[in-house]
Amino acid sequence: MTTTEPVTDDAREAAPGAVARLVHSPSVRLIARRLVAAVPIVLGVSILTFIVLSLIPGDAAQLLLGPEATPEQIAAMHRQMGLDQPPVQRYLGWLGGALTGDLGNSLVSGQPVTGELGSRLAVTGELVGLAFVLSLGLAIPVALLAAYKPNRLFDRVSMLVSITGLAVANYVIALLLVLVFAVQFAFFPAIGFVPIGQGIGENLRSMLLPAVSIAFPLFCFYTRFLRGDLVDQLRGEDYIVTARAKGIGPGQVLLRHAFRNSSFGLLTVVGLNLGTLIGATVIIEQIFALPGIGQLLLQAINTRDFVVVQACVVVFAVVAVLANLVTDLLYAVLDPRIRYGNR
Amino acid sequence: MAIVEASASPALLEEAGQGRFRGWLRHLELIFPGALLVLIIGGCFVWPLVAAVPDPVGGDVLESNLPAFSEGHLLGTDPNGNDVWSRILYGGRASLVVGVAVNVLGLIVGGTLGAVSAHVGGLLDAVIMRVLDVLIAFPSLVLTLAVAQSLGPSQVNTIFALAFFSVPAFARVSRAATLRLREQPFMTAARLSGTSGRRMLFRHIAPNITPQLVTFSMLSMGIIIVIEGALSFLGLGIPPPAPSWGNMISQGQQALSATPMLVVWPCVVLFLTVLAFNLLGETLRARWSGR
Amino acid sequence: MSIEEVSELASPAPVYGGAEPLLEVSDLRVRFDAKGRRVNAVNGLSYHVHAGRMLAIIGESGSGKSVSSRALMGLLPPTARISGSARFLGTDLLSLSEREMRRHRGADLAMVFQDPTRSLNPTMRIGTQITEAVRAHGDVDKRAAFDRAMELLQLVRLPAPERRFYEYPHQLSGGMRQRVMIAIALAADPKLLIADEATTALDVTTQAQVMELLLELQERLGTAIIMISHDLGLAASYAHDVIVMYAGRAVEYAPASTLFSHVRMPYTRALLGAIPRLERTPHSLLPVTPGQPPDLTALPPGCPFAPRCSRAQDDCHAEPPPFAEHEPGHWWACWHPCEVGGPAEEGGR
Ligand SMILES: Nc1ncnc2c1ncn2[C@@H]1O[C@H](COP(=O)(O)OP(=O)(O)OP(=O)(O)O)[C@@H](O)[C@H]1O
Ligand code: SF4
Ligand SMILES: [Mg+2]
Repeated sequence: MTTTEPVTDDAREAAPGAVARLVHSPSVRLIARRLVAAVPIVLGVSILTFIVLSLIPGDAAQLLLGPEATPEQIAAMHRQMGLDQPPVQRYLGWLGGALTGDLGNSLVSGQPVTGELGSRLAVTGELVGLAFVLSLGLAIPVALLAAYKPNRLFDRVSMLVSITGLAVANYVIALLLVLVFAVQFAFFPAIGFVPIGQGIGENLRSMLLPAVSIAFPLFCFYTRFLRGDLVDQLRGEDYIVTARAKGIGPGQVLLRHAFRNSSFGLLTVVGLNLGTLIGATVIIEQIFALPGIGQLLLQAINTRDFVVVQACVVVFAVVAVLANLVTDLLYAVLDPRIRYGNR
Repeated sequence: MAIVEASASPALLEEAGQGRFRGWLRHLELIFPGALLVLIIGGCFVWPLVAAVPDPVGGDVLESNLPAFSEGHLLGTDPNGNDVWSRILYGGRASLVVGVAVNVLGLIVGGTLGAVSAHVGGLLDAVIMRVLDVLIAFPSLVLTLAVAQSLGPSQVNTIFALAFFSVPAFARVSRAATLRLREQPFMTAARLSGTSGRRMLFRHIAPNITPQLVTFSMLSMGIIIVIEGALSFLGLGIPPPAPSWGNMISQGQQALSATPMLVVWPCVVLFLTVLAFNLLGETLRARWSGR
Repeated sequence: MSIEEVSELASPAPVYGGAEPLLEVSDLRVRFDAKGRRVNAVNGLSYHVHAGRMLAIIGESGSGKSVSSRALMGLLPPTARISGSARFLGTDLLSLSEREMRRHRGADLAMVFQDPTRSLNPTMRIGTQITEAVRAHGDVDKRAAFDRAMELLQLVRLPAPERRFYEYPHQLSGGMRQRVMIAIALAADPKLLIADEATTALDVTTQAQVMELLLELQERLGTAIIMISHDLGLAASYAHDVIVMYAGRAVEYAPASTLFSHVRMPYTRALLGAIPRLERTPHSLLPVTPGQPPDLTALPPGCPFAPRCSRAQDDCHAEPPPFAEHEPGHWWACWHPCEVGGPAEEGGR
């Protein structure tokens, strides 16, 4: 067996060929590889959206002008919207703009899409962030406790909750939460959004029910995943036996050895989830009337405002791809097996 | 001599042989979701044929918002005077038909795509994988929404829209299963003995990956039924007045404080159906992986 | 090769007084009850180890070597049912609770496992894994733990310990990893070190290096060592005493020199006889003995080796032979032991 050449973070060693060293370090290469792979995916998504949106029937001009509009009026509107140009040219024009940060103007309101997206992304971001904090913040301690004494009461109850919880759709949870906390007890506002500017407390109050609706299925999923991974390790891994043979307590074995190694898997799962969470935000924002990007998308679809749809889709795709990328990178930074180019 | 319990860490607890009880428990894992599914499917498809169930549509507005257990209306009526129990049963038909159709599409198209891609390998595999990457990074719900909106809400369109979810997912599972299979010795033996590519696909690969795909389709059923509900909830799935659990929830939401049960009933059946599919899928998967 | 040649490999047994043994295992039994199947892994094993000595436990795969030694440290899964006693300096290890056992693990008894790649935590620095063992017993601050870890790394002769301290297991070679495992095991100065096939996963040269290291550490620190192995040659070269296990029992027990020159048990004879002559590498694995290994779920009423034994007679099938000290210091369990110096092939069928 050969020994891998160590990459030390020792400054003295790094000094001579720091740049060369960095370029050749496995994690930097990994980043570069993933970045290069991400570009065609995002491009592919934007092209696919463009094709789908051009193919499917439906016309914003028709919708805006109403059923009595004459063909001339519609044609004029098309010219104004730029819809009269051939698709390839339109796509290239759009791409050029997108690369400089201009995602076009809304077909309906005429406003630039980029600005609108910014404020809406903030709302959706807060929603998703809150959901992650809630779900992980609960799932980690619950899974640790469950794995500490597998098959005891706590473990069985938490597994029952997470298996049944996974079968509850987030919109069902949302409605039940509204029913109980907003309608019956009026603890929380049923719908509506309070910007952070008007006080963090009020803002959180308006965000809590939507965030919980998204967080609950995630909590169930993470609890199950983490508990399963922990128990598998405790039962099957030799390094756990080594740790126990040292004479350290079961709590330390669980935290320092099993959880440490499970956290890498958990991280991957969280990263992958971020991409799929977007579907959840559309419906939850709709139910709670939150001015997020999901709500914008739904409105745009209903008014056939394809410029906005295109922008939203690309933003979603970029977020999904970036989330995977960041996960890979974090993984590469945190997990020594990858950091040093092994496996 | 006294038997000493092994002084092992509690964290290493394994199910000690509790013999018969555990045996029953193991079967319960299959019996419970199986029975639940038989009840749900039987209720939706068979019950309206054998018993007198009111029409799910065309109710009398004079009979609107009747409470549960009213005469002739087991779960009462909705604001349009339609029988809720009947709408649940017929709505279930819609959900299940969509779920099965989407999964069959996913299984056949996605399953074949994945298996062929992995089996042929090379450029074809690379291209298919890239396309799948795009489809997976693609916020499918958005596409689904856009397609559903433009095609106009209908059951068939919902099926096609949702196939965007299932085909890439099945393709991935099938590709991974085929790749694992390729490493088995009997596959190498078959290859070396000059078995033709098509024969390999049909005789060796297909029968071996099918159980995994069927297991996956159980789990996928739950997901598809939930998304179908979401589409209908947003008004882009099964169009009212035809019932579906999603559009029942959506209609009920408008009078949530006055008649909450109109939301609760479809939520409960949706939950039970998804639970049954999930449990069945999990059990099959656990058995399949030999745990 | 004759028995005499093998015995030349055996190290001369040092003079050893009749002091109290460090560890005295008697009638150890372990069975696993799982999924309605009962596996009798260890069936009445007795032996003792003195301070400063090296005991080799050899036997074919499944004979209960690992299970019996893990039982001593309380490292078996809860499906294990353990009986018997294991007196360690007056304490019966088998009657301790998990919490009490923890105080002995690492501090009194330590273990080195077969596969150093899987036995080290892949995501933890080498140094942390050692200091963790140092700090598990006694109140040691960070600085002192670091110093101790360095000392241990030097003790096990890991090259460039200052750098290795901050590295991860996958950056080390197999032999280096096993040295780290030994450092971890020695962290709290255990009185007994159990090396469960500690060299099996290593190549022959590294194997010899690791064994030399163990021997040297034993001399310096006075640690008693139980060395579990498949490898007769290794046992002959390094151990003072040897136990041969079959079907969860000891079948022959003697000082290494006696055992290899005066084999009495047909099973041991079969093991030795199955070693190819001269061209044999010094540390080959335990040779395959013809016949089926015993079925631990249903052991025969008589001698468990009888179905494979060429010397078996009717009485062998009827009643198990007692494990007794037939000659001074030489124990065996057989109704019809081999004559000393008899043909080597005689044992197995
Ligand atoms: N957790 C367990 N549950 C059931 N049976 C077990 C368990 N652990 C070990 N056994 C059984 O106990 C018997 C003895 O195993 P042990 O590991 O002690 O053998 P060994 O002599 O160390 O063999 P090897 O040389 O292969 O390491 C084997 O038949 C094994 O299958
Ligand atoms: S007792 Fe009989 S069967 Fe057993 S080893 Fe001795 S001779 Fe062979
Ligand atoms: Mg072993």
